[in-house]
Amino acid sequence: MTYVIAEPCINVKDKGCIDVCPMDCIHGTDQDNMLYIDPNDCIDCGGCVPACPVKAIFPEAEIPEKWRQFIQLNADYFKNRR
Amino acid sequence: MFSTAIRSLTAKKQNPRTYRVVGPQRQIDERETPHPRVDRGELGERLRSWRTTNAGTDPFRRVLGPAGGGSGNPYNSLQHIMTKVPEGPVSPDRVPVTDPVKMAHNIKEVARFFGADVVGITHLGQLYVYSHRARGSAALGEKPGDPINLPHKFAICMGFASDYYKFLSNNSRISDAEYGLGNIHTIPTTFMLASYIREMGYPARAHHYGRSEVNPIPLAVNAGLGELGRHGMLIHEEYGSRLHLAVVTTDLPLAVDEPIDIGVEEVCKYCMKCARTCPSHSIPFGGKEVHNGVERYRINVDSCYKYRLASRGQWSNCVICVSSCCYNKPTAWWHTLATEAIKRTPIPLRVFLIKPLLWIDDLFWGKRPWKHMKWLDYDNAPEANAPICNIPGCNVKHTNLQHKRLHRA
Repeated sequence: MTYVIAEPCINVKDKGCIDVCPMDCIHGTDQDNMLYIDPNDCIDCGGCVPACPVKAIFPEAEIPEKWRQFIQLNADYFKNRR
Repeated sequence: MFSTAIRSLTAKKQNPRTYRVVGPQRQIDERETPHPRVDRGELGERLRSWRTTNAGTDPFRRVLGPAGGGSGNPYNSLQHIMTKVPEGPVSPDRVPVTDPVKMAHNIKEVARFFGADVVGITHLGQLYVYSHRARGSAALGEKPGDPINLPHKFAICMGFASDYYKFLSNNSRISDAEYGLGNIHTIPTTFMLASYIREMGYPARAHHYGRSEVNPIPLAVNAGLGELGRHGMLIHEEYGSRLHLAVVTTDLPLAVDEPIDIGVEEVCKYCMKCARTCPSHSIPFGGKEVHNGVERYRINVDSCYKYRLASRGQWSNCVICVSSCCYNKPTAWWHTLATEAIKRTPIPLRVFLIKPLLWIDDLFWGKRPWKHMKWLDYDNAPEANAPICNIPGCNVKHTNLQHKRLHRA
């Protein structure tokens, strides 16, 4: 399991989650309109959830149905960047 | 009359206050504990391979570490060697014991002479004996998966203190060395104490790091060594949580100690320092939970263990919660004064003492205790431009561990 960033992050990118993530596994560039969690590095601690002001972060198993595509979107983001 | 009432609020209690048995418990299988789960790859392949290679290229680390870490020969690791050593037979010449109180006193003195810093004795509850072994000693004819049969009546619980200052370098190769040495200190003392008891004609078994059939934490709480903290470890009034625990189980007739009340129940309710500083958010801010019939604070063992993957080769063992615990102080009169004051204050009034003490603790010792340290060739200073991120183009500001924001409930 991993945590996933979903739609509410788009065009917000508060970055509060970056300061609390022990694994530094949340990434993004200036060109991206949201941040992404690397599922290979995430240790499922959930520390980023309360740090997000727009409630954009969910455990993979609990992500609302309408945002389920973000599971793949987060994983795909890192596919060609390793 | 008044003094009796006061004593009844503060004196030694029959039951530990920091955990409560509320339902049926089952014995834990040692194979369910973290190290064997990691070895089987249940927490991921990366963690499994990390565990077999984390000692890396540092000879000093390899000597202090467990077997198989890095490229070292396992026979250069005392931990590994002692898992292969058989235990001797029980002497047929049994020394009669007429006074278990005197014998308990002698055994504690011998344990301290052999190297233990603190000692206590309790009954060996079978619930704190593992049901099956995960490792086992081939020299004793044991193999993984064997059911454990440990019918001994008593558990002699020992604590081995680590150096306060070296742990303040958390997390680094310096705190790693101190942690590894603490593990190793448990081995000769328990081995010699068990041997001594067998020479007196009574069965005894040493349970030390790398070879144990019992869970030492509840036994140590029951033996009055300290109380159970929010971070799931024993808290001793002088050494805090920087104690490595080990046990010798035996049938030698001994008087047992009682659980103590040093105020950890109230301190952990208000302190939260371990929960605020735990980088992996593994320590709860909330109340106790019931798990396996026991009501206690429950940490997230998986995220705690997985956090080691964040070490990037700089360290192997996270001791941040141990170092940040407000009970973790060097031996000094003002620390004794504070812990004694909490202990002797009636329970309902402790909060009025604890809150100002916690404020002083944050003021003088910091919200996140850490010290820059140089020792041998090690330096725990955060590397200024350490490459934290390897994602091309990523430009979020990844902060070094020492500058991470503290968590709030």
